[in-house]
Amino acid sequence: MSNPAVPPRSLAEALRARDDVSLAALLRARPDLITPVPTDLTQLATRAGTRASVVRALERLDRFALQTAEALAVAADPAPYGELLALLTGDDGDPAVSAALPRALGTLREQALVWGDDERLRLVRTARELLAPAPQHPSPTGLGPTVQEATAGMSPGRIQDIVTAAGLGSTHDSVSAVASLTALFTDRERMSALLAGLPEESREVLSRLVWGPPYGQVTAEPAAHLRRLLDLGLLVPTAPGTVVLPREVALHLRGGRAHREVEPLPPAVEPAATHRPQVVDATAAGQAYTALATVEELLKDWDEGGPAVLRAGGLSVRDLKRTAVALDVAEPVAAFWVELAYAAGLLASDGEADERYAATPAHDEWLEQPPAERWTRLAEAWLTATRVSGLVGGRDAKDRTLSTLGPGLDRSAAPEVRHRVLTLLAGLPEGASPSRESVLARLRWERPLRGPQREDDLRSRLAEWTVTEAELLGVTGRGALSGHGRALLGASAPRTPDKAPEGPGDKLPVHHRPTVAEPLSPAEQATASAAAARLLAPLLPEPLDHVLLQADLTAVAPGPLQRSLAEVLDVLADVESKGGATVYRFTPGSVRRALDAGQSASDLHAFLAAHARTPVPQPLTYLIDDVARRHGHLRVGAASAYVRCDDDALLNEILADKRAAGLRLRRLAPTVLAAQADPASLLDGLRAMGFAPAAESAEGDVLITRAHAHRTPPRTAPEPVPDGPPVPDATLLSAAIRAIRAGDLAATTPRRQTDQPQPASGELPRTSSAETLATMQAAVLTGEALWIGYVNAEGSASQRVIAPIRVEGGFVTAYDHTADEVRTYPLHRVTGVAELAEE
Amino acid sequence: MNGPLIVQSDKTLLLEVDHEQADECRRAIAPFAELERAPEHIHTYRVTPLGLWNARAAGHDAEQVVDALVQYSRYPVPHALLVDVAETMDRYGRLTLSKHPAHGLVLTTTDRPVLEEILRSKRIIPLVGARLDPDTVAVHPSERGQIKQTLLKLGWPAEDLAGYVDGEAHPIELAEDGWALRPYQKQAVENFWHGGSGVVVLPCGAGKTLVGAGSMAQAKATTLILVTNTVSARQWKHELVKRTSLTEEEIGEYSGTKKEIRPVTIATYQVLTTRRKGVYPHLELFDSRDWGLIVYDEVHLLPAPVFKFTADLQARRRLGLTATLVREDGRESDVFSLIGPKRFDAPWKEIEAQGYIAPADCVEVRVNLTDSERLAYATAEQEEKYRFCATTATKRKVTEALVKRFAGQQILVIGQYIDQLDELGEHLDAPVIKGETSNAQREKLFDAFRQGEISVLVVSKVANFSIDLPEATVAIQVSGTFGSRQEEAQRLGRVLRPKADGHQAHFYSVVARDTIDQDFAAHRQRFLAEQGYAYRIVDADELLADGA
Repeated sequence: MSNPAVPPRSLAEALRARDDVSLAALLRARPDLITPVPTDLTQLATRAGTRASVVRALERLDRFALQTAEALAVAADPAPYGELLALLTGDDGDPAVSAALPRALGTLREQALVWGDDERLRLVRTARELLAPAPQHPSPTGLGPTVQEATAGMSPGRIQDIVTAAGLGSTHDSVSAVASLTALFTDRERMSALLAGLPEESREVLSRLVWGPPYGQVTAEPAAHLRRLLDLGLLVPTAPGTVVLPREVALHLRGGRAHREVEPLPPAVEPAATHRPQVVDATAAGQAYTALATVEELLKDWDEGGPAVLRAGGLSVRDLKRTAVALDVAEPVAAFWVELAYAAGLLASDGEADERYAATPAHDEWLEQPPAERWTRLAEAWLTATRVSGLVGGRDAKDRTLSTLGPGLDRSAAPEVRHRVLTLLAGLPEGASPSRESVLARLRWERPLRGPQREDDLRSRLAEWTVTEAELLGVTGRGALSGHGRALLGASAPRTPDKAPEGPGDKLPVHHRPTVAEPLSPAEQATASAAAARLLAPLLPEPLDHVLLQADLTAVAPGPLQRSLAEVLDVLADVESKGGATVYRFTPGSVRRALDAGQSASDLHAFLAAHARTPVPQPLTYLIDDVARRHGHLRVGAASAYVRCDDDALLNEILADKRAAGLRLRRLAPTVLAAQADPASLLDGLRAMGFAPAAESAEGDVLITRAHAHRTPPRTAPEPVPDGPPVPDATLLSAAIRAIRAGDLAATTPRRQTDQPQPASGELPRTSSAETLATMQAAVLTGEALWIGYVNAEGSASQRVIAPIRVEGGFVTAYDHTADEVRTYPLHRVTGVAELAEE
Repeated sequence: MNGPLIVQSDKTLLLEVDHEQADECRRAIAPFAELERAPEHIHTYRVTPLGLWNARAAGHDAEQVVDALVQYSRYPVPHALLVDVAETMDRYGRLTLSKHPAHGLVLTTTDRPVLEEILRSKRIIPLVGARLDPDTVAVHPSERGQIKQTLLKLGWPAEDLAGYVDGEAHPIELAEDGWALRPYQKQAVENFWHGGSGVVVLPCGAGKTLVGAGSMAQAKATTLILVTNTVSARQWKHELVKRTSLTEEEIGEYSGTKKEIRPVTIATYQVLTTRRKGVYPHLELFDSRDWGLIVYDEVHLLPAPVFKFTADLQARRRLGLTATLVREDGRESDVFSLIGPKRFDAPWKEIEAQGYIAPADCVEVRVNLTDSERLAYATAEQEEKYRFCATTATKRKVTEALVKRFAGQQILVIGQYIDQLDELGEHLDAPVIKGETSNAQREKLFDAFRQGEISVLVVSKVANFSIDLPEATVAIQVSGTFGSRQEEAQRLGRVLRPKADGHQAHFYSVVARDTIDQDFAAHRQRFLAEQGYAYRIVDADELLADGA
């Protein structure tokens, strides 16, 4: 790598010394560094040192690499390899850590988080700031500041008192005093002697702070044993009432270890149970078939107008409940199927004015495919989807409920976690099903959370959902990865069971391990899917062409039915039980439904005779005939008016009259005509034909038309409308004046002349974004106030005078003279900046 | 994988009966799955928590259940279902009731959080005493039944290991002279005795009384037998005298008319549940002797107060007998916790195949209401509708035609409404037995019927149960207690006693078409249809035309 003769003096130099392969490794691990492509290595180094990029890189480290970085952050800068090793192993040493450290350090070096040779290891400054203990963000190590940092604000006299109390000779300045105190604290033997001389209560206090947090509360008048600790500098006051345990003291008490527990090796994923591979494959295939059936059923259910799209997008809770009932599954599971169909492009919103969900044309194509290919389509969609159905029912940052198919369900980590979980399963011997806990523990090790460990972090939840969903989809069976699931991942044949592939002793860096396959490219995925489909196809049950009819008016399909048969049966009978087989029950209602659908009784008899493997039972034949006998006995239609007359000759006359054609009359009975025209036009029409009809009320009485006065319901008189707005009160006035004056200050403050043409007074300043940033950063250093143009989220522009305090992550935090408070502005909303003229 | 069993996601099991492994599979799943329907081709079993706990109580474990499902299943068994089975079965036996030498009855747990959970329940608190140690809590001995019932409702059924008292010994032997217990009866007695307490389910006419007698001969102790009515009590007595070493003097009857307490006492539910001034005066019967065995006849009819008394009798062996463990009130779980789990069950058709009950031809005759009746039916009040259509005049004609067709055979006409029965009795010239008929009169008529002196008997629902009329071969049902499934089964049972010449029994149910009567009939027939009795449906017009 680097030329050992000339040690690099900066990260840029260290990068310059690296070969192309290792630079490529860096860029692969941290792709954010090449968007856009940096112009030179200096720029690359600068970018690698930015806060956002470093945070991103740290979040992607495994637990041991992160612990190494944390240890480096509490070590000297630069630190030799020996010191780092001592911090990780402690005074007693730990062969596992010693073995694993080079690898972890290699990872950190590769990612440009650490540079320098083994004698001078340097953690990138931003990383050091992020990981070093500070009162605002305590370090995961639980260590406090060094003696030097802790005593920075202390009076020289006080420091001399401490030095004297600790039994060291007084020195002429504070710097050497602190140095000798540090030397004492880092000297194991002298320190042990010093601690041995302390009363028991004092040691007890120290032991409470030793593993962090290192801060403690004391009263204004501390007890004697606390007093003694403060006198010796073993506790250092940081603020009134607060004391801290200096880092050196804590390290001594910890036996030199920076972490309570170091985890140099990934926890192994242990098989909790092992099933025969055939059982696993068969179970998974059964579930795969259920998945297909469920998605088909879902879309069939929505065939004639699915549920409405909520205004905010998504499916209402009620519709989800209804769907869950229809599919006979729990609501979260229903949400999964709906999201799956959506992800596979099988359903979408129809985009009409009255927006509803419906199957897409792709769904019809999908239905035509062989079952195994239909399954891979679903499984592929699931693997790569960023939408996460597990979130449904939860709340987003704005406390809105997350709905199925609605916005806010995308989690970019989802495909990666799914892939990772399945890859871990693929690493186990065939048929082995790991415990959920061991998978989660492994994932947490690979991608630990910075900050406090929680059980319900997103990755763990994603991983749990992955395990559940993989089982639902039939990628796994009984918790073990199936043969077709393995093929879908593109993973090669399973490892031989005698060697634990992911277990301890693996020397390669985590992300270099071949089993951690990267997600496949589309072409590779297509090949893998085809392989999966080939494996799955023979395991799926063959559709049947017959059912068994029984005298208790049930029909049992002892397996999946051919689609045409299933469609007719679904209409003719009610489904009573689903699963491997389907139990149908014939009821008068269901038979009537079939008759309504245009089948005749003889059609039904023929259908049953053709598809029943058993004789059609007499009660069923009777039921069909009985329902058919009554079907259509009553007829229902719509008419908007009628004509009735006791004289059927007169009605004949009306019907025969050509002028009556527009009234669309139809004879229902000898004395009754039904009309499609409304009663008023019917009356007019009949009158025009020379008849004298009378209107009839709903009760059959003759209606008499008589003029009557028309009145509104009770109404109140209108309120008078005053001219112009109401007179403002004093508070409103004073607020308005203050705002006007502040705006005035921003607009009229004289500005320093620059070589750029100044915008006319009242216009927003305009500068390039690079210039804006540079000016802001300069102002932070000088503490000057600036005049900026700012466009807020609603798009309205304003001018403000601000004194920038901090510029980071695309935001400027500044004291805003206009608003008289500290505010944070996104830099991209600042149109331009100008310095204020010197006054 | 080509097994006879299909496991459905709703926990029903479909068994293809014509499959070569069907019998094997049936034996494997019978311990934990309830036979729900047994029509001709596919039998439906259901896996319920109660069934799984039943299996646990009988000594089966989750592994056996899962093995049986996986071994015989045609398609892969959903993993979730297997997990659920294991979890459900695991709940049984976490709590056990047992006798502690010092503290009496105690509830012990192998899983402390479960005990903590149930001790927090408001319904458990009044039933338990002091906490003896972290895993044990004392239980008031009188609450043994109550606590079992409550724990079952909470989903943590307790295993009752507290044992039984032997009761006062009394010599009872089966007098097997010229007859013997049938194999399934022996099996039922054995299963019951082995399990301690529980329910035996046998079809009507399959000899449940003998299972009772067999159990008494096992117990050899004083026995209290609870039956539905006095006639049934007399029959029990008659049967016991005939089949066992007991004599008339050893058997007492405790009913509205007689109050005898003997080593074997037969009491009716009615007398036990009689209430005077808010108290049950006949409750002391339970304490009047040191009973070693209590037999509940027709346990599906057990009235609610008897459940309450039974809760106090948990230390005595209890045997429930029934043909249909279907309760329209859904209190099957109380039967489970208070009487005991199901110890023996035989499908009707299986017993029929063995020749112990007669094969039956079930026919539903649909009669049309006349036009004027239809109009009257349409305008009738809701609560009057059933009565109206069930008593249509056309039914009388059909009944007459049927009686004529089966002239010479012993015919029962069964109905619900007294005036309808009276009218039928008049037209058929047959005696009517109804609620107001005195017991002496009933006995006399039944006797005459058995002797063949009367060939047609019109009976109300008093004859639904336990009336032994071996010679009846035709039953005509004209109306019933709305949609009661067990009543239909019981009525069919009246004609199922095997016939001397082995010929078929006939069961006719006369139903008014397109009315609520037809809906009720469909519901009533469900149990029998599910047991494999296929109803034929014929039109009354056809039937009348044939007869003419």
